[in-house]
Amino acid sequence: MLSRRTFFTTAAAALTVPATASAEEAMKLAFIPQENPEKLLGDIEAITAWLSQQLEVPVTGFVTFDHAAAVEALRNGDADISFMGALPFVLAEDQIGAVPLLSEVYRGQPSYAGRVFVRKDSGIETLADLQSRDIAFADPVSESGYLYPLDLFVREGLVADAGDADRFFGQKFFAGGYQQAMQAMANGLVDAAGASQYADLYLTPKQQAEVKVLGESEQIPSHAIIARPGLDSGLQDRFVDAMLRLNQAENQYLLAYLYGPDGYVVADPKAYDGVRQMARRYGYLK
Amino acid sequence: MKHLIASAFIGLLPLNAGATAIEEAPWAPRAAAYRLSLFMANLTPVPWEKIENNWTAPAPGSAVAVEALSRVSGSDAQDIRAALAAEDRQALFAAITTALAKGILQHLEAAEATLGQPEAAFEVAQSAALYRAFEDGILAADKQAAHDLGRAWLVLNSSLGSSGILDNGAQDPNVARFAEARTVIVEYIETNYLPSVFVERGKLTPAPESAVRSGTPVILPATLPPGSNISDQRELPRLVLQFEEAGEDEANLPLVAYGDMLFDSPEIFGYPARDLGIACSTCHNRSDVNRDFFIPGLSSHAGGMDVDSSFFNPMFNDREDDHLDTPSMRGIRFTAPYGRDGREPSLRRFVRNVIVTEFAGAEPTPFQLDAMVAYLRAFDFLPNPQIDEAGLLTDKASEAAKRGEVLFNTEFAGLGDRSCASCHTPDRFFRDGQTYNIGSAEPPFPGGTATPFETPTLRNVNFTAPYMHDGSLATLAGVVDWFNDTKDLGLDTEQRADLTAYLQAVGDGEEPYQRFEGRDSVFRLSWEELTTFASTLDTLIPMRDAENIAVLIDTVAPDLAADASVMTNQNAKPEIYRFAAILQAVGDASATGDWAEASRQWDAFKTMQAEIDERMF
Repeated sequence: MLSRRTFFTTAAAALTVPATASAEEAMKLAFIPQENPEKLLGDIEAITAWLSQQLEVPVTGFVTFDHAAAVEALRNGDADISFMGALPFVLAEDQIGAVPLLSEVYRGQPSYAGRVFVRKDSGIETLADLQSRDIAFADPVSESGYLYPLDLFVREGLVADAGDADRFFGQKFFAGGYQQAMQAMANGLVDAAGASQYADLYLTPKQQAEVKVLGESEQIPSHAIIARPGLDSGLQDRFVDAMLRLNQAENQYLLAYLYGPDGYVVADPKAYDGVRQMARRYGYLK
Repeated sequence: MKHLIASAFIGLLPLNAGATAIEEAPWAPRAAAYRLSLFMANLTPVPWEKIENNWTAPAPGSAVAVEALSRVSGSDAQDIRAALAAEDRQALFAAITTALAKGILQHLEAAEATLGQPEAAFEVAQSAALYRAFEDGILAADKQAAHDLGRAWLVLNSSLGSSGILDNGAQDPNVARFAEARTVIVEYIETNYLPSVFVERGKLTPAPESAVRSGTPVILPATLPPGSNISDQRELPRLVLQFEEAGEDEANLPLVAYGDMLFDSPEIFGYPARDLGIACSTCHNRSDVNRDFFIPGLSSHAGGMDVDSSFFNPMFNDREDDHLDTPSMRGIRFTAPYGRDGREPSLRRFVRNVIVTEFAGAEPTPFQLDAMVAYLRAFDFLPNPQIDEAGLLTDKASEAAKRGEVLFNTEFAGLGDRSCASCHTPDRFFRDGQTYNIGSAEPPFPGGTATPFETPTLRNVNFTAPYMHDGSLATLAGVVDWFNDTKDLGLDTEQRADLTAYLQAVGDGEEPYQRFEGRDSVFRLSWEELTTFASTLDTLIPMRDAENIAVLIDTVAPDLAADASVMTNQNAKPEIYRFAAILQAVGDASATGDWAEASRQWDAFKTMQAEIDERMF
């Protein structure tokens, strides 16, 4: 599942920068697919070229099928580093000991929220009004596109747990992504959508004016860049230093090749405690 | 009115983007080729070669750079090729519709076979990506069917199950529910997009067969094909207005402000431009050129199009595929005549020509023309310290440019014993107001005469690539080479470099693009522009000019709301929606002749503007 991006189609390619060091020192980056795989391939080429130059080792990148495939690649050593949402990260951490290195800063914040959206003309004013109504979430393995918006209903005492959600709502859908969930709500296929606080930007400007926010979850750590366990600590440190140089004015243009954050900060593993608790509470972690 | 050209979007463009907030999501290759085929097959004459290219080469707007035909089964590909070879619109429609419909069903079948595995989600996504090509046709023809199908797609995605992350968070698929939803989609597609014979269609659209067969008119919204880009360009040109340079505020010049609004208003155009949200400023971005503007089938390349095709005004169709490079409007009061062919000496009459003839708009009122001309006449060139008022180089220019200046003023036999400066006269803004046939165009038809084109200004030309009337030369160096080769100027490599350096010195300009930083955002620019437009209500309401108020409100209120999408301060979006609603209330009251209420709402608007101004970025 893509947390801030809609799965559109896949493209797989490995882009190799001419080696400047031994293959043992090479670094492999896994990228999660986004709406425009052609653009992503170009982006990977640009960013791996820059990183190769910065790290003085060949850096390659490839597009994975989804988060699960990226984690699999980290496990079997096909990837050293991957871009990852907060929930898939804590699941990967639990399974293979993945390490968080960096967090995205987006619109000035290293965190964001999940929201429940409804149409303004729906007559729905509270979360309780959604009883027996239909809701579209993005994906079952999504923090802001499922777990955190669902948790709003639990905190209100409307829903006991994930299983109970099917009793509370008329129908609970997983639309396949933020955009699909939001469009389903905006087009009247469902009454509400649970998605990222920025998901209304997937709607047309006209539709954006026609929706409102019914509730906002607690903060979720923003997307992370994570490493496989056992990655050479020296290389890992140099990678982090290089990525932090993207915050410098002269390098900021490169952020457009990396899902467009404002920049990066060093990840704080404690920042994911809330996600870990949430994952345990809803049965994602044993 | 900001309009977006498709039903699927990627989301916000980067914050240096223009006013249109959303970028169209790329299309599946077959879906892109299908929609491009429909669009182009409805043009007169049909550009068969371009349609063929959409299937045999990666199509514009396609998500993956593959040939659409390579994704089509052998027999279907054969049918498409045969229809293209026969140049048969109906056969083409049947072949491509069948191919797409089969693709939808095949991917659904593959999804059902792989339920519970990641491949199932991929196959459903592929199927949905093809269905997108039919979606607006179904919605226009049968809202209930569109709703039922939309729900079915939701059920499909919800029944796939998930393998989670290495089994963490895994969910089982719901096979029965998936099969039920798949049946809904399969039956509809088979009935409406895989009939044994398609009804003969005058206009090719994705409307379902049952609706076409019933004879009920299906009103489809105006759309542009995949790969189109009518958004403001990524780097907004800096707008230099004469009165602003002199310290005057546009809000104090209601005629100019109203003209500025009209320049940004699709309301003055006719169908389909108005419905697509196209305005003068769509192509002539902030007095300059929208270098990103592109419509496949109408544009040879970005930054221009065939303005006299059958699409925007069938009556104006010259039946020639003749892309024109969009000219900059900087300094337009100095650059008559107008039109690349210099057909119109009067700016006022040329504006009327664009509105009525090119874009099928209603006859503008004298006041509207006055207002637009007043605004256009304020466009200035970017300042350029490398030249003085007489167009001579200053000491800020390079030595190479100075050597080039000499060449520029040198007479050549190949130019009829004239110099470059004879036509691009430095003290006349590097143009002479004449038209010439310099051999840059072929006759429009065998036995015809090549069209002469006007001498374009060289001021700020560094920012208006590509060059020539059709944008056929990518660089100024290419232009120098073209003249050298076609006019036998005999310039060596160094001389051509010097002449190019001169053109670049003359064509330069300070701060060519708008800079955005912090609160000085894209939205802030829109906010100031739109509230300036609204300020004309101070003049229009006392005049009780309901007609012009209506145009203003229909332009500004939706734009305000739409532009909220690009706010950096997303928390202030709801205030913008309320603000736009107050403006709409002014228009509603004006339309019913309730001038007291119009005044009251207008006062409320101004009060709110003052209150929220600080947060508007």
